[in-house]
Amino acid sequence: MPPSQLKQLKSSLKENGVLGPQQSKKQKRQNAKSGAASQNRNQRHAALQAIRDRFNPFEIKATGRQGKFDVTTRDGGSTTAARVRPGVTKSLGEERRRETLLQEMNSRNKVGGLVDRRFGENDPTMTPEERAAERFARESQRKMRKESMFNLEDEEDELELTHLGQSLTLDGANLDDFEAGELDAAESDEDSPRKRKRFLEDDEEMEDFIHDEEEDQPGRKKSKAEVMKEVIAKSKFYKHERQQAKEDDEDLREKLDQELPDLFEALRGVKPPPKPEPVTEDLAAMNPERAALLQEPESRNTEKEYDQRLKQLTFDKRSQPTDRTKTAEEMIEEEAERLKRLEEDRVRRMRGEPLSDEEEEEEEEQERKESRSEDEESVFDDAMAFGLPTNSFQPRSELDVEDEDDFIIDDDLVETRSDASLEFDDSDMEQEELSEEDESADEQEDELINGLTLPTNTIAGATSTAVKVDQAADGKLAFTYPCPNSHEQLLEIIKDVPVQDLPTVIQRVRALHHPRLHSENKAKLGRFAEILVEHVSYVGNETEQPQFTILENILRHVHSLAKTHPVNVATAFRARLRDMSQNRPLNLLPGDLLILTGISTIFPTSDHFHAVVTPAHLVLARYLGQCSTNTLADFATGAFAASLCLQYQTVSKRYMPEFINFTLNALCNLAPIEPATSLGFFPSRKPQEPVRLLTSSKKTTPRKLHFRDVVSSPADSQAAEDLKISLITTVASLLSSASDLWSSKSAFTEIFTPARAVLQHLRQCFKNKPFAAARESIKSALDTLDSHLTSAKELRRPLFLHNHKPLAIKSAIPKFEENFNPDKHYDPDRERAEANRLKAEYKRERKGALRELRKDASFVAREKLREKKERDAAYEHKYKRLVAEIQNEEGRAANDYERQKRARQGKR
Amino acid sequence: MPAAADSKKRKSTKHGTTTSSKRRAVAENDFAETLVTIQELETQIADSRKHYNNIATLIAMLGAPKNPELAVAVSLCRVFSRLIAAGNLTDSSRAADNEKIIVAWLKERCVEYQKALLAIMVEADAASQITALTLGMRLVKERVTHIPSADNTVWTSGMFKDIFEVVVEAPESDLRTEFVAKFVQEYDDVRYHTFALAAEYGAAKRSSEVLERLIEILSACEDVPDETHEFDNFYTETKNKRLVSVSSHKKRAQEAWLAILRNNLSKSQRKTLLRIMAPTIEPWFSRPELLMDFLTDSYNEGGSMSLLALSGLFYLIQEKNLDYPQFYHKLYSLLDADLLHSKHRSRFFRLLNTFLCSTHLPAALVASFIKRLSRLALNAPPSAIVVIVPFIYNFFKSHPTCTFMMHRASGKQGGEEDPFDPAEPDPTRTNALESSIWEIDTLQSHYHPNVAAIARIVSEQFTKQAYNLEDFLDHTYQGMVHAELGTEERPMRKVPVVEYQIPKRIFTDRLLLEEDGGVDSGPGCFLRELWDFS
Repeated sequence: MPPSQLKQLKSSLKENGVLGPQQSKKQKRQNAKSGAASQNRNQRHAALQAIRDRFNPFEIKATGRQGKFDVTTRDGGSTTAARVRPGVTKSLGEERRRETLLQEMNSRNKVGGLVDRRFGENDPTMTPEERAAERFARESQRKMRKESMFNLEDEEDELELTHLGQSLTLDGANLDDFEAGELDAAESDEDSPRKRKRFLEDDEEMEDFIHDEEEDQPGRKKSKAEVMKEVIAKSKFYKHERQQAKEDDEDLREKLDQELPDLFEALRGVKPPPKPEPVTEDLAAMNPERAALLQEPESRNTEKEYDQRLKQLTFDKRSQPTDRTKTAEEMIEEEAERLKRLEEDRVRRMRGEPLSDEEEEEEEEQERKESRSEDEESVFDDAMAFGLPTNSFQPRSELDVEDEDDFIIDDDLVETRSDASLEFDDSDMEQEELSEEDESADEQEDELINGLTLPTNTIAGATSTAVKVDQAADGKLAFTYPCPNSHEQLLEIIKDVPVQDLPTVIQRVRALHHPRLHSENKAKLGRFAEILVEHVSYVGNETEQPQFTILENILRHVHSLAKTHPVNVATAFRARLRDMSQNRPLNLLPGDLLILTGISTIFPTSDHFHAVVTPAHLVLARYLGQCSTNTLADFATGAFAASLCLQYQTVSKRYMPEFINFTLNALCNLAPIEPATSLGFFPSRKPQEPVRLLTSSKKTTPRKLHFRDVVSSPADSQAAEDLKISLITTVASLLSSASDLWSSKSAFTEIFTPARAVLQHLRQCFKNKPFAAARESIKSALDTLDSHLTSAKELRRPLFLHNHKPLAIKSAIPKFEENFNPDKHYDPDRERAEANRLKAEYKRERKGALRELRKDASFVAREKLREKKERDAAYEHKYKRLVAEIQNEEGRAANDYERQKRARQGKR
Repeated sequence: MPAAADSKKRKSTKHGTTTSSKRRAVAENDFAETLVTIQELETQIADSRKHYNNIATLIAMLGAPKNPELAVAVSLCRVFSRLIAAGNLTDSSRAADNEKIIVAWLKERCVEYQKALLAIMVEADAASQITALTLGMRLVKERVTHIPSADNTVWTSGMFKDIFEVVVEAPESDLRTEFVAKFVQEYDDVRYHTFALAAEYGAAKRSSEVLERLIEILSACEDVPDETHEFDNFYTETKNKRLVSVSSHKKRAQEAWLAILRNNLSKSQRKTLLRIMAPTIEPWFSRPELLMDFLTDSYNEGGSMSLLALSGLFYLIQEKNLDYPQFYHKLYSLLDADLLHSKHRSRFFRLLNTFLCSTHLPAALVASFIKRLSRLALNAPPSAIVVIVPFIYNFFKSHPTCTFMMHRASGKQGGEEDPFDPAEPDPTRTNALESSIWEIDTLQSHYHPNVAAIARIVSEQFTKQAYNLEDFLDHTYQGMVHAELGTEERPMRKVPVVEYQIPKRIFTDRLLLEEDGGVDSGPGCFLRELWDFS
């Protein structure tokens, strides 16, 4: 049988050292000094708690599952946390209810009452001292505020905190009898009470003494003992005063020490300087009305100023070391770096890779597609995946999703994508780039607009400078031109201007409407750029002999405008292209050729996809592929288009089938003798009337082709023959350049074998004397072709395209989760998982609320029962008391009666 | 009396024609007067045989075929219809002599009237022509209905034949369309006899315009009756059994078509016929093998004619067990330089897909087609390349042996000749299987990004089962440009990149000597070198 509970308790107390031999005083002191006492106390508490727990096993409820393994962690393990004390929680809940619910219950059906609205009264986080301090601060603040300067009543009637009938204001420092030392001393150390007591005693003594003095002075002469006493008291008083002063000093120092960290912080200069306190202290002593009058404007001014300063400070950039002026070498290096970066971007665009910033967007896109793919899998068009329109003339507005196992294509290809998510970022980036480029562009721009735009602030200033410069240039032109809004307006403006001066006009318009001068100018210039593009086409079509210096200048202006208004210029070019493809796809006008040339210089033609260049390619290719070549002008136009094709492909070296078709056809059609057999797989088109070189003609000399040839037909037969032979040589040289361009293509042999056959045929034809001049160029073209063909043949090897990693066979094994945890949710659908989580939370909360309500109800019931019991008990008590009283009285009356009876009997 | 009436009429017409231009009211009065006269004459004929002479009067009133009195024609038609219905135009041997004389006279007048109608159809303006046609057909109907013995003769040699010939020979199309729409397409018996007459008519060599019109009439008969069809829509009431049997209808149609096909057709007519061969002509044939000659002749012609003959021929091969020697040779030879540029391209590719879809074809043959197509793609417009590449992909997928053409590990270090022989006509001997499709590889750098992307599918993993060819077929330059540009400007998604360097010169040699020392190497120098801008 185990020993009794009491014995067990005793032994465990002893074991834990709670009970033990008494410590000696010395030991105690030592412990107190070393701080072991407090430690011991803590230990004792813990031990006691453990003993209590052990002796009351029902207080603790073990959790259902124990930890499987013992682990050591840095934060001491969670063993205590795992234990639950239902008793404690229950009592806590009970307590809380008693505080809240019971109060409510008691105050039910009651009207009125007192509400304590004193500041901080119901705030448990405040100590009484803080409360008092805060109340005092509010009180003084209220006084300081002076809501209305004409408020007469408040002056006298204002409530004041008083103490012993004296005001508690800070106006007179002498009135303050609060001694800081007292409070501090009270808190500072252990022996403070004693000390304080002594002070108090001293004070009393002193007061006594003073009173005595005052009372006694006019009276009798002091005795020696009294004098001595006085002297002692005085010395004591002075001593005390000295002590007091010393203590005051110390207090002050302590306070300063406490403020030191703040000071340091201020010194480090992180925070803005604190708001300077409004200077009111000295005014407070004055008549408050006057003070208010004096104070008002000034304080408002200062506030305003302060606000301004503050704003300045917050928005000010902290001063930074300025950049060192760069040396010439560094500038060059930087420029080279910039060009290199631009070139890299270009190459990336050429390959059709996304620029770095776009990658995220693309991923997003991909994600979006995948998420959508489920719904839209049913309708898709294979061709759509490549951005091809479904049917010849009706492009679908949105792109269907490609099959999952379809290859991923560049988003750039797909023009009909309906996504505008990161548009802003793009444009921002673009803008940034532009702004970076601005500096370098400025140089070029300067050249273009002749440095007319000085960054002056007013339009007037700009015009004046413009005027000055212009006067130097020539005196005839107007100095200001309005920015035209349509091409008609432009024509109206330049109606009287000689053609040579058009660049000057453009220059002036640009200078006058420099975006720095007015916010609307940017839009105006954008429109102006569009009009210029239109004008280029107009000039090409309308004028017999377009002035190419002027055109070049306009195009360069357009280019420079395109840097700032890329969208406007691109739109204008696209409009031109649309016009071409809709109205005259097979009959390009000279203006169209100029536009296409302009595109080749203004936009990077090497891009994999470009909003302007790609359609331009198509327009060119369509012309070359389908145009009717009936007249020599047609041939010349075709030759120009073919040269443009090569120019477009100078960098990217993409293959254009139409170019080969056209050139070979042209050569075959222009050759003096028709080739006997088909020379290759190119389709042959015959002109309606033969345009062959006449074999019987006189000596012909090839010349450089002229842009004029595109429109005008040659004057006489000799000129026609000359044109023919020069067309032949030009086309042959185009072929040789093309072979240079495409020499690395794997099908080079296939492409150029027919070309070689055609050229050989031509050489055969040119054996005659009159063609001696052309023979050379044909021969050189042939040589180029031959050398390329031989090298291509040497480089040729079978295709090795499918060097992919083999595709993994689809696995049917279910996906097992390593370390599966049934509590964890493995739902891959994030939305569903989120919904489930919310549901679970709602359920938990609901249960908790129900439990609480139930507990509340039982508490209320219990309380009611208790009250009822109390009431019953009180009633019972009262009843009993009354009964007892009555009985008592009855008994007394009976006794009286008995007594009287006895007395009567006794008398008898 | 006829003379009097005649003179009166002549007077009235003369009067009418002279005054009509002057005063309308008078003309109208006149017209009403004429109408009254005609009405009177007509009722008189109906009343009694005494007034039969009025018929002659009316016929005389018809006037010149160029400018006929239509009211007279209509009333005459009514008169004759009534007479035919009453049996006044039928000979009966038992009748008296004078009766016979009257019938003969009436018949004569009738023929006269018919001739007048035909003359109107030939010569008059369109509206009158159509009226005359309707009247003539009305007469045909009356005759067939009421003179049982005349059934065949009217259709094959009588009135209807004349009408048919007039219709076929008339150069104007109004009459023909009216005839086709109102009669041939509407009534089964008219169509039947039209076919018969067409066969008869087409037996002789005819000029190409006439053939054109015949083809037009015949091709209008599109809805071929199926086996269980019951003919119930007849123009005339007849008891001819042949008219209700589907096979006899078909036979007539077949004969008619054959007659046309055997005639000397022009090239364009042949093409038209080939084009409508499958939907319109072939279904009429109960023995399609009769088309064989025509089709094989067309197929052997080459060029687009062959393309058009293909589908008909394939139908015969498939259904009628036609043995066409070296069909695939011929097919292979069709893949020439112009194929991808012709407007029958998509049609051809649809057929080619059918011909080559069998997985039992020899790999060498398929390889030849692949190689030839890729060779052609080198000179093809983008819209054709867009078809060819998925087409080739599908081939590779169904003939895995051919995949060597795009992936062949070889020990040699290049410099080999291409084993493929493009000149070899036999697709099984071209050695294409040993070659590679460098052409498609090159097209991966096509100028158009979408085309390049499509060409790239041959070097990706072949994960897709097959491409739906139909999606790639009907693209054009116009469509592609449209896809890029749209009809109007939409806001651009991306700010277009602009070339970062403004070129010093575009057309001229500005500042050439000052800055570049006379050597032009900037962008666009290529153009300036070849072209003189000044």
